[in-house]
Amino acid sequence: METKTIINYTHRQAGHCESGATSNLFKFNGLEISEPMAFGIGNGLYFSYIPFLKIQFAPMISFRNLPNTVFKRSTAYLGIDATVVKKIKDPEDAMNLLDRNLENGIPTGCQVGVFQLTFFPPEYRMHYNMHNLVVFGKDGNMYHVSDTVMELPQLITREDLLRVRYAKGAFAPQGKMYWINHAISKPIDLKPAIIKGIKKTVNEMIGIPFPLIGVKGLRWMARDLKKWPKKHGDNKASFYLGQILRMAEDFGTGGAGFRYIYGAFLKEAGELFDNHQELLEASDMMGKTANKWREFTYMGARNCKNRSKPEENYGTLSEKLLEIAAGEEKVYQKLKKIKF
Amino acid sequence: MEENLNPVYKNKAYGQYRELSYSYQDGGKFEKTVGFHGEADRLILQQAWDLFQERIEDARQRVLSGKASPVVYYMEKNLLDPLNLSMMAGISLWRVKWHFKPGVFNRLKNKTLLKYAEAFNITIDQLRKVD
Repeated sequence: METKTIINYTHRQAGHCESGATSNLFKFNGLEISEPMAFGIGNGLYFSYIPFLKIQFAPMISFRNLPNTVFKRSTAYLGIDATVVKKIKDPEDAMNLLDRNLENGIPTGCQVGVFQLTFFPPEYRMHYNMHNLVVFGKDGNMYHVSDTVMELPQLITREDLLRVRYAKGAFAPQGKMYWINHAISKPIDLKPAIIKGIKKTVNEMIGIPFPLIGVKGLRWMARDLKKWPKKHGDNKASFYLGQILRMAEDFGTGGAGFRYIYGAFLKEAGELFDNHQELLEASDMMGKTANKWREFTYMGARNCKNRSKPEENYGTLSEKLLEIAAGEEKVYQKLKKIKF
Repeated sequence: MEENLNPVYKNKAYGQYRELSYSYQDGGKFEKTVGFHGEADRLILQQAWDLFQERIEDARQRVLSGKASPVVYYMEKNLLDPLNLSMMAGISLWRVKWHFKPGVFNRLKNKTLLKYAEAFNITIDQLRKVD
């Protein structure tokens, strides 16, 4: 199989794997959308805390939506013709479909697992199946891959790509892939999509009557955090806290980083709506909340340094989280009241 | 300097890896910067890898002293728990836990061993012993 097809696709580094891939795919097809814009329209912002489900020996905390939400919603809200193949049973079929797309000059996004991804930095290789990358070229047995977390495009062999696309475990990718069918020629109005995106995010963060999702989940976690040292001992409490921080900081800039991206989205949206005052204010509030998340990380990290002797009181950390939750709730309530 | 003290960051790949992150200054300016991770990030990553190393070493000792089967060692080495392992290998949780006993493991058929070997991405010969 001596085939060589490399699509002229521009790789740009981004803060969040999926919105970065989505924004890059849009740009390839001729629609200039920044990463925060794709993130905001596609409802990247989310929070859920699931204490009874353990990931890497600690409670599951997620700062992002289910995989593929960003791409699916942003294309739906913008009215762009796109294809999402949810599940392909036979791995060979999945690779053949990918090859065919490449021959037709369509860069294709894939959901992959991180653990066996060969070019990924080893210290980040944990079992996390919600990563996204875009395949844009093939040279014999090697595939050219644009992973927005990395600075440069990467190479991966066919066998390795097949393995990560069929990684098993929670949220298994099952060969999921997505792409945009045609180049976008007609001008697209972003405003209705932005309104829809904001409404959906607000609803997901404060509107769902279930205590573990959104701001309510954040509060629940803050209350649990206070109890951990008594319940599990200092060692385990410190590790659980570490899990929150790892989720908030590391995996694809993490939850705190997402708040910055959302703030940037609100700012862009505000400028698009002729300097909409309330949107700009909300953006400012979001940025300040995100800074508080950073402070929380620095406070918490000191507890992780010396596991058996916590330097910070867990009560203080819990209060900080409650403060963050209150700050975020204010932003969403402000957004909810805005009339466009 | 700090990187030298830190075993996780000794590997070569780390030096080449920079991450894009956003930040916010008062006055409404969001900035994108590309850079290495800060100290807080290192601490929490270090903590996780310390724990994983502890668990792997503990599992290795148990296997060597005949208290557990190599499946336990390879499970810890791949950062899995029994539930995830059962999902990855396609063997029920109850049977996976049953195979943690060395006596049971030694009687396993090649077919079952192959399932584990595939899940861990190693050969059957490697699976039979710990390194």
